[in-house]
Amino acid sequence: MTPGRLCALLALPLCILVSYTLIHTGHGLGLHAMLFGDSIDAVLIRYSWAPGLAVALIGGAGLGLAGVLLQQTLRNPLASPTTLGVASGAQLAMLSATLFAPSLLVWSRGGVAFAGGALALALVFALAWRRRLAPTVLVLAGMVVNLYFGTLSLALILFNQERLAGMMIWGAGSLTQDNWSGVVYLLPRLAAGLVGAWLLSRALALLDLDEVNARNLGVSLFYLRLASLGLAVFLAVCVVARLGNIGFIGLAAPAIVRIAGARTFKARLLWAPVFGGLLLAIADQGLSVFVGDSPMLVPTGAVTAALGAPLLLWLIPRLSMVRSAPTGGTIDVPARRRSPGRFIAVVAAATVVMAGIGLLAGQGATGWHWPWSLPWSEAGAWRLPRVMAAGAAGMMLALAGTIIQRLSGNPLASPEVLGISAGAGLGLLGLLLFSSSASTGLSLTAGTLGALATLGLLIAINARSGFEPERLLLTGISVMFLFTAVQQIVMAGGDPRVQGALAWILGSTYSVSLPRALVVCAVAAAMIAVTRPFAAWLDLLPLGSATARALGMDVNRSRLLLLLMVSVLTAGATLIVGPLSFVGLLAPHLARILGLTRAREQMAGSIVLGALLMIGADWLGRELIFPAELPSGMVATLLGGSYFMWRLRRL
Amino acid sequence: MSRRGRRALVGVLAGIPQRAAAVLLTAILCVTGSALHAQAHDTSGARLPRVAAIDWGQAQTLTALGVPPVAAGQTEGYNIWVGAPKLDAATRDLGLRAQPNMELLSQLDLDLITITSMYASSESRLAEIAPVKSIDIYQRSGDVWSNTLAATRELAQAVGRSAAAERLIDDTEGQIAQFAERIDRDTPPLLVVQFMDARHVRVYGERSLIDATIQRMGLSNAWQDSTLMWGFALVPIQRLATIDPAVMVVMGPIPAGVEARLADSVIWQRLPAVRQGAVVHIPGVWSYGGLPSATRFARLITNALSDDGAARSERGAVGPAAPVS
Repeated sequence: MTPGRLCALLALPLCILVSYTLIHTGHGLGLHAMLFGDSIDAVLIRYSWAPGLAVALIGGAGLGLAGVLLQQTLRNPLASPTTLGVASGAQLAMLSATLFAPSLLVWSRGGVAFAGGALALALVFALAWRRRLAPTVLVLAGMVVNLYFGTLSLALILFNQERLAGMMIWGAGSLTQDNWSGVVYLLPRLAAGLVGAWLLSRALALLDLDEVNARNLGVSLFYLRLASLGLAVFLAVCVVARLGNIGFIGLAAPAIVRIAGARTFKARLLWAPVFGGLLLAIADQGLSVFVGDSPMLVPTGAVTAALGAPLLLWLIPRLSMVRSAPTGGTIDVPARRRSPGRFIAVVAAATVVMAGIGLLAGQGATGWHWPWSLPWSEAGAWRLPRVMAAGAAGMMLALAGTIIQRLSGNPLASPEVLGISAGAGLGLLGLLLFSSSASTGLSLTAGTLGALATLGLLIAINARSGFEPERLLLTGISVMFLFTAVQQIVMAGGDPRVQGALAWILGSTYSVSLPRALVVCAVAAAMIAVTRPFAAWLDLLPLGSATARALGMDVNRSRLLLLLMVSVLTAGATLIVGPLSFVGLLAPHLARILGLTRAREQMAGSIVLGALLMIGADWLGRELIFPAELPSGMVATLLGGSYFMWRLRRL
Repeated sequence: MSRRGRRALVGVLAGIPQRAAAVLLTAILCVTGSALHAQAHDTSGARLPRVAAIDWGQAQTLTALGVPPVAAGQTEGYNIWVGAPKLDAATRDLGLRAQPNMELLSQLDLDLITITSMYASSESRLAEIAPVKSIDIYQRSGDVWSNTLAATRELAQAVGRSAAAERLIDDTEGQIAQFAERIDRDTPPLLVVQFMDARHVRVYGERSLIDATIQRMGLSNAWQDSTLMWGFALVPIQRLATIDPAVMVVMGPIPAGVEARLADSVIWQRLPAVRQGAVVHIPGVWSYGGLPSATRFARLITNALSDDGAARSERGAVGPAAPVS
């Protein structure tokens, strides 16, 4: 299979869909009538269907091109325009403008989205500037900015569902056109992007070599990265501003043409845009032919991601022929703390104090009140399960994060990235879509089933490759794409039940009852005990599988075992606080940055940090905007994320 | 044992030291009894039940029944989106409707909490605070109008105001009939849309209160295609192009920037109703509301249609600002 043949293969169904629409909608209108006629059918074809098709081709091409540039520059086959936070920045800007400065949207919708995307990128660059835009730091910064802005966006939606209904349609990527202005806007920008990419292509191709060699050949890596990233982001932000969030094409198109045999950078530069355009156009045309008359809005962007995620899953086993370039240097961490035990004890004490505050201090019908002025049944009884659940979930996520980061040797890994949380989330959203009312028991079952199914998928796909970390993460990312896509489709649909689902997605301990809190605490305690003996493995695994094997480890079996533990931890925590509490990413990092470098110390440290973060976040979430509540997962992401960004800048 | 006694006992059992429990008991007796909850009475002097309504439609109906809720979910949002009848200024805000504040609820000495099955996941825990009544309009079989009447009666019964429900129903039916008389018999079918952005609208059809009210007024709805469980279809505007000539009713609020962009939209300008100038604007109506929403829609639509429709649409947009007048 060559990329050319692959594209030809895609072009065929597109031609069929196009001719079907022309014949069907056109009702046998002649070509002349179609081009110049004034009948409503002719107008629809000329001003809605044709620009829609053109915009899909152009937008898909733009994202494909942006994806190639980003993947090459960041030397990461998983990079996409969303990696650097551009789409989430654009979205946050649009949402904030709708709520706080609607006049900006009257002035220019595209301008607002563009400004938001540029701001997010500027932030990412600022965070990675001192490290001269090194790929690892860039990707890490992008991920945190993504999380941060994404969480803020969801929070705005949570509290303003009615006012933001239109923005959710944009967020899901609907390609509907009502004149040619979209094409007029995008086409010259795509052309400029192509020219720019062509100019940069020779220098960028050298990045296939490793950094030292590239530098020896006289390439200024810093300026090259700046130019290439700037170009990619410019393209992505133009498309996103105009058509909404369609990040998936930017990830999938370059990856697929690469697997189809586009080995060199220049070949990918040629074929990824072609493939991206065709893919988006097929999705859009197919949707309008098959579900065009449904009462539910079926947004192309999100559906492409939903359909594309299984495609990505299918591709993963075939990725072996592609050896991705090394991601290049890890982040150095501060020296090991001299007395880690004392530090962990201090954090643990802080956690206990925080739990006390969480139980005793709070507002009620008359504002802040003394702990003893209200009966236990009216305050404490409601707080106890939440504090317990928050602490236990924080511990489990932090532990799972430590294990998966060490297992994969990837600082970006987190239990959420493994897809288990997303699987649980999918189960819950599915329940929401197909059942009219859901009891707690039913949602727990659906969530558990989703998590288990994802775990099964992870094992089925990765067993043969010996649970190679990079593939594991790719599998997880596919499931996350699927989850995000389904979430966007549900949110765009305007269903009033979205609020409940969103609150859970953002990570809230709201619905935890005492029996459930006790169960979670028991599970957390048991898992901490179970994982303790495995610290030795976790010291070895980051050294690489060859080293570990040489030291007498059965790498495959230990990976599977650790993976199972991570899954249990993640599923348990997710069912309590939802899939989006990024404590599992942040706590292990914090522990490492704070000098807990050995596996056992890092595990213990991130457990107490995770508990502290979640209990603190839960309390803040309950009290900050009383009587309304901010989901604790969201507060944890914002707290942890702020600290993380501050540390990252000083690295 | 009285409620307060029981609470104090729970406090002691939970391990609060004796002295604190004593302080606490006194505190409750002083505070909870008098200062916190001045008891409300209706005109006949009977004590009003203390009800918390999580759902806006139920808060609206309870207010119309003369039993205003003491607490409701997202009161600020209610005032923007539902508007009429206004909530009492003293109504407690409970936070998000999907997550009403349990601690606050448990301190309000409630007699009843009303929910819909949308909030079923909280039902068992709400039941620890006060009796819970779950009443649905949408998530059950039957047509929306009879479901709305049934829900009104059930709600009234739960707060002991069955007579008020019959008065409200008679009043609503009477007003809608009066409005219907003012409308031209051969008004073409109505197409009720609400803009989400410049290219997508919600169209109200089968299984919506809007559609039910249109039917009660003897008018017909131009949208005969299927709708979602909540009574609307969410469609791109080109789907409206093939609807037979109708009067397009644009329901507010119109999102910022939409009107400017419609001027450039070839498809919008080419829609049959827009071409013929048969577009009227009305302020927003809470479409998941109860009978007061139906009356409000009937009144707004009657005023819009009995004005000179053509002149109105030539004047351009009328009601984009606030959803509620």
